[in-house]
Amino acid sequence: MGVLSARSYVDDRPADGVFRVHRDVYSDPELFELEMKYIFERTWNFLTVETQIAKPNDYITTFIGRTPVVVMRDAKGNIGAFLNSCRHKGATVCRFEKGNAKFHVCLYHGWAYDASGKNVSIKQRESADYPAAFDAENHDLIPIAKLASYKGLIFGSLSPDVPPLEEHLGDLKFFIDLHMEQGAQGMEIIPGRVAYTYRGNWKMQLENGQDPYHVDTAHGSFMAIAERRRKGQGNTAAQEQDWQKRNNVQIGAYEFPHGHTSVWHDVAEPERRAVYASLDEIKSRVGPLKAEWMVRMRNAVFFPNLQIADQIVPILRTFRPISVGVTELRSNVIGPIGEAPEKRAARLRQFEDFVNPGGYATPDDITVFADCQVGFGATGVDFLQGYSRGIGASQQGANEEAIEAGLHPVSSVKGHRTQNTETGTHAPFREWVRLMEAGMAGRKAYP
Amino acid sequence: MSLNEVELLAAGADLLAREAAYLDERRWDEWVALFAPDCVYWVPTWTAEGTLTTNPQTELSLMYFAGRGGLEDRIVRIRSGRSPAALPLPRTTHMVGNILPLEKPNSERIRLRSSWTCNAFFPLMNSSHTFFGRAEYELALRGGVWSIAKKKTILENDRIPMPIDIYCL
Ligand code: FES
Ligand SMILES: [Fe+2]
Repeated sequence: MGVLSARSYVDDRPADGVFRVHRDVYSDPELFELEMKYIFERTWNFLTVETQIAKPNDYITTFIGRTPVVVMRDAKGNIGAFLNSCRHKGATVCRFEKGNAKFHVCLYHGWAYDASGKNVSIKQRESADYPAAFDAENHDLIPIAKLASYKGLIFGSLSPDVPPLEEHLGDLKFFIDLHMEQGAQGMEIIPGRVAYTYRGNWKMQLENGQDPYHVDTAHGSFMAIAERRRKGQGNTAAQEQDWQKRNNVQIGAYEFPHGHTSVWHDVAEPERRAVYASLDEIKSRVGPLKAEWMVRMRNAVFFPNLQIADQIVPILRTFRPISVGVTELRSNVIGPIGEAPEKRAARLRQFEDFVNPGGYATPDDITVFADCQVGFGATGVDFLQGYSRGIGASQQGANEEAIEAGLHPVSSVKGHRTQNTETGTHAPFREWVRLMEAGMAGRKAYP
Repeated sequence: MSLNEVELLAAGADLLAREAAYLDERRWDEWVALFAPDCVYWVPTWTAEGTLTTNPQTELSLMYFAGRGGLEDRIVRIRSGRSPAALPLPRTTHMVGNILPLEKPNSERIRLRSSWTCNAFFPLMNSSHTFFGRAEYELALRGGVWSIAKKKTILENDRIPMPIDIYCL
């Protein structure tokens, strides 16, 4: 077998209007190994939200690719992130998803660490006859190389050779702002979590958020239900957009550096958006432009592991690759801190209705991902054809909306809703090629 | 326990058994009809390993429907033939047991807890998964028949490897 050059998997020829991706990208276990090494372990990853570890000694466990990580607030309130692996024999030190602890005692041989990662106890150290060389070693939890926050979102990198976070985020900051500035006192993750796996490659969910084209087929049953609800039947508490009216709006996509991307579209019924009722307050705080953008439906990707979506209500969804054909998703619904009870309840109903693994959209998405993964078993047919819609409307740099918003995308696309642009998938694949190529050539990820 | 109480609990257990059987036999209309029009159907999420959400108005649920309409939606979806997650429909077998009263039953209200498993076979993926948990019911006598007024379903294995729907719970 053996992998080919990274470039040979993505047929990217803008001058010829060609963008095609080879199906091996989703199914080759060797490529998957390289993705872990050259993408997940060499760039910034989203870790968690600050409100998840609000108090001193709060912690939450997560992963960067396959690396277990614990993010903790120490006794003084400083945030740290460490490899969740004991220095003694490697066991995970924090075994729970989250909690509050001044000390973390490893359950294997009892080594203990405090909330700043410092080793505070090596059991029976005095009688161990440890050599001087052992005493000379550091025994603290190993901090990850880089840790930084933006608007309450915490990011980390296992590699020190990454650009400063804000430079790395670039204009994606605008899309994070649109999420995190909706509440006057900030935004929080609403308690309760959903975690589920699907039988497909991690990039399928990443791309799915950039794929408005699938909605009226894969989610056809949902549209039938939405139609019924408009006649007052069924679960009318979960206010949904009118999917028919939705077809008459404008759609667009932006490609940003570092693999980040976003599709957006206008809404026909702004009054059905969770953000609508607070719009005056929001305008007075962040100005009319951002407020207007908050009403737009958006689906942004922080490459490689976070979807910042506001199709129905704002959500944060992380992708964790388990193997080439299995991915874990975690979806969180966020809401303004101090939100009025009836608005909070309505937000929850909208999220549950659409995004949950028992909702109306996600089960269909993850089922068709599994179909694709089976389909990738058909080898010898090389490139897929799912990346070309909208290329004919693509322009270099910023379009009118982007200029107005002060954004500097690499390219912009805009069209009628049914254009259903697929160009939102280009930025992640271009960065995929860049990082894989650098890794395979033994170069640094960021020159 | 009085003879009357025994009879009431038997009526409750009968309703729970029928609820499960109707799902397995895809008798969707009969299943929905077991619920009161103003029923509450609630599947809380876990906030972490050992804690369940307790308030569906302030915390996330896997499913929360106030009113039978939410259940009717699910049936519309199953029957639509347009949901990839339900094509083909998984085949299920529910087992319901350990039914115990949560309070002394009376002729208007019976509160029960149960333990349940649902073995589901997903033909598409050629694989089976067992969903399991417990449930709490409040049954109410409406127009001479017992209906489900409240059902809270706890899904114990909530790292979910398959799409879930009402027929998996
Ligand atoms: S592995 Fe942690 S104390 Fe031995
Ligand atoms: Fe979808």
